[in-house]
Amino acid sequence: MLFRTRRSRFLLWLAFGVLFGVVIAAPLAMVGLAAVAGTWNGVLPAEYTARHLADAASGDALASALVSVQTGLVASLAAVLVGTWAALAVRSAPRPVRRVVDTLLHLPVAVPSVVVGLSLLVAFSQPPLALNGTRWIVLVAHLVIVLPFGYGVVSGALDRADPALAEVAASLGAPPALVLWRVRLPLLAPALSASASLSLALSMGEVGATVMLYPPDWRTLPVSVFAQADRGEVFLAAASTVVLLGLTLVGLLTLGLAKGRAAER
Amino acid sequence: MTAVAASVPAVTRPTRVRRRWASVLWLLPPLVVVLGFFCYPLALVLRQSFVTRSGEVSLAVWQQVVTSPEFTAALGRTVLLSLGATAGCVLLGTFLALVLAFAPFPGARVVSRIVDAVLAFPSFLIALAFTFLYGSAGVLNAALGGQGGGPVDFLYGPWGVLLAEVTFYTPFVMRPVLAAFAQVPSAQLDVAASLGARPALVLWRVALPEAWPALASGACLTLLLTMNEFGIVLFVGAKDVITLPMLVHTKGIVTFDYPAACVVAVVNVLLSVALYAAHRWVFRVLGAGRSGEGRRGAVPNPA
Amino acid sequence: MSAPAVELRGVSVHFGRTVALRELDLTVGRGEALALLGPSGSGKSTALKAVAGFVRPHTGRVLLSGEDVTDLPPHRRGLGVVVQNYALFPHMRVADNVAFGLRARRMPRRQVEERVSEVLSMVGMADYRRRFPRELSGGQQQRVAIARALAIRPPVLLLDEPLSALDAALREEMLAELLRLRGELPDTALVYVTHDQGEALALADRIAVMRDARLVEVGPTDQLYHRPRTEFTASFLGAANLLPVEVVAAPGDGPATVRLAGAEFRAEPTGGPVAAGARAALGVRPHRVEVRTDGGMPARLLAVQWRGTGFRLDLELDGGTPLRAEVSSVDGLPPVGARVGVSIPDGCPLVTTGAGG
Repeated sequence: MLFRTRRSRFLLWLAFGVLFGVVIAAPLAMVGLAAVAGTWNGVLPAEYTARHLADAASGDALASALVSVQTGLVASLAAVLVGTWAALAVRSAPRPVRRVVDTLLHLPVAVPSVVVGLSLLVAFSQPPLALNGTRWIVLVAHLVIVLPFGYGVVSGALDRADPALAEVAASLGAPPALVLWRVRLPLLAPALSASASLSLALSMGEVGATVMLYPPDWRTLPVSVFAQADRGEVFLAAASTVVLLGLTLVGLLTLGLAKGRAAER
Repeated sequence: MTAVAASVPAVTRPTRVRRRWASVLWLLPPLVVVLGFFCYPLALVLRQSFVTRSGEVSLAVWQQVVTSPEFTAALGRTVLLSLGATAGCVLLGTFLALVLAFAPFPGARVVSRIVDAVLAFPSFLIALAFTFLYGSAGVLNAALGGQGGGPVDFLYGPWGVLLAEVTFYTPFVMRPVLAAFAQVPSAQLDVAASLGARPALVLWRVALPEAWPALASGACLTLLLTMNEFGIVLFVGAKDVITLPMLVHTKGIVTFDYPAACVVAVVNVLLSVALYAAHRWVFRVLGAGRSGEGRRGAVPNPA
Repeated sequence: MSAPAVELRGVSVHFGRTVALRELDLTVGRGEALALLGPSGSGKSTALKAVAGFVRPHTGRVLLSGEDVTDLPPHRRGLGVVVQNYALFPHMRVADNVAFGLRARRMPRRQVEERVSEVLSMVGMADYRRRFPRELSGGQQQRVAIARALAIRPPVLLLDEPLSALDAALREEMLAELLRLRGELPDTALVYVTHDQGEALALADRIAVMRDARLVEVGPTDQLYHRPRTEFTASFLGAANLLPVEVVAAPGDGPATVRLAGAEFRAEPTGGPVAAGARAALGVRPHRVEVRTDGGMPARLLAVQWRGTGFRLDLELDGGTPLRAEVSSVDGLPPVGARVGVSIPDGCPLVTTGAGG
């Protein structure tokens, strides 16, 4: 152990506790508290209530939550599919092609989500593809924003994968499609699950592009939270955020279970 | 095995070329997605920035936007905010990672789990939390005794945004640095300490060098992400904190001035892509010697 | 006579700008065991990958049983491959690993079952069918990998450093196992890549020595050991001393007479004809060097190392030439630093100098 004396370690931990508590833990705790606060005028809420949570799980807020869940599922599934396809295909392409495509697929990370939203507005408000005003434009935006992550996770796993497994499978007489289905994809299962988890979490919390694009009938939960906060209904906003986190968590746990099962097989 | 006549040397080239093209064909579906939904719209944004509202092609919009005080203020504010937030994240993230790695305490694992969770949270959550903490009717003001408009009033200005960004983006630095520290063999630290080096010196000379690549690439990434941050700025809703993404939003869907929004967007994208290129470069150059084994494994080993 | 099991004709492999294999010509007969021996980076693994179809030759042709397979992908070559880290499919049980190649061939279920049982008992792993690879030891994984390759009854079995991941004791055991399997499968040709001369000598009918992406020398195992043509083979296979000698007389065919430190010996010019007056290298294996208290060539004893089965002596001939000897006993030898006499037998190979090849 590097810090041997009790005093030095204690001071270090104290500094850590204060910094971590103030900067990271306290804000997280606040949202949770606010979601169940009845009235809050002092340091801690004076009374607690489940009313805000109930409000957040009904009516418009519930509709928004369902929109977010659907958007997240569709976008993350599409991102995993397109990302995995790209990661697999790019590996057999000639090296220059590979570099260009790899950069291209990572590039949306570098572009602000607001700009992604604006660009889709500019491009799809007119024919040939007039998506503006439909839910599709939101789905497309979410796909563009999470695709680099979906791709990156799978691509990284493929970089670390042992090429000998696929080679040996081929030498045993399995054509490429069979090698892909029986060897490469099963071995990628943890990466696919991680890629889906990351995409889902990002899509559920996306606000920049959505706020530029959403049609009235496809308002995601983060946009609704903003509207609630803007109206001054901060406790409802906190409760909706808790609902959003809860839904995200359920999604991540489900994907984690899927990963565990795939690894067992 | 399929029968193939012996000694037909001429076939090598064409089959190889055909196979290469086939592999490029397989790339088409994902490429169509990226080109159609990302590159093409961005190209249109670039084109739009050169077209005035009346439909003429000119540099007029650029001239008008770039010289407007609104734009220069936003540009300066964005750069300052992201530099400040990154500096904060680097300092705080390194310190937290140092403690977690080299002076772990009971519950340290829980703490790093919480940090992992923050990575999966939306950024606006932090801004929302800050209104409860530091808002005019927030906990801090209540604790300090003020009622409605207490002594603490930084949230609705640049400092509020800065602190929120530090809170949200610290994990982006801390995580890779923590991973790099985990690579330092504890024997190395013990040897350094047994040779008489003080803890601070051991950290400075043994542990930190191992973390430089992670720190540099984490800092680049944070710089990029804070520059592009929108959720926090939107939720804090400070009137005088207009960053470039915020300006794009305002011009685009509040005043519907697409050409001007496109000019701001182009500038923002150029800045971000430059930072992103720096991030990739740092990652490749500094990271290659240490953590690049995986990548190298993709190249056939001529042994 | 039927076509050889494997034939490489002028095969070169490039990875970007590096040349991993240069113009390799090589044949492996039916049922023959060929060892590709060389240090790392010598191109031996690349040659094996070219046969398997994992890398595409830049130039040259690969033939299996007389058929040109250069343009065939690996899955249509029908070869058995065992690689260094075994590459067992971690998500499949032992039986499914072994059945993989059979199912890829759409073999009926019953037959798959029978064949899996057959090859698993052949390698002594019949009791482990339901295990996952991670539940097996290194040696057991190796056996499963071999069984998986043998299940498809390949005419050629390619083994890439199969024992290098095992510890010394297990390596001996697996080597014996491979020898036994070879006896059971007399028609299966074997291409065995290794950097270990002991494995090559024990297993192979012929050895191809490789260095710097080139074939240095190929020949029957005992010939390569006893009558190497090149310096590199002499030193890599059996760690021979390479003594700089002067050719005194060379009759053209038959033994030549060479001189070293004043003494003369007869030597076999295995590296090709030599001319009187020329300089050449004499390959002398350590165990053929005799060390006495006096007589023979004068030398100084520099160091003695006990090796369990015998002793290794580091010597220096007068004139500064270093010489290594292996003796079973040091009884009667003077202490380190003292002068001794050394004699070298007649008939040692006179090899070509330089890079060889």
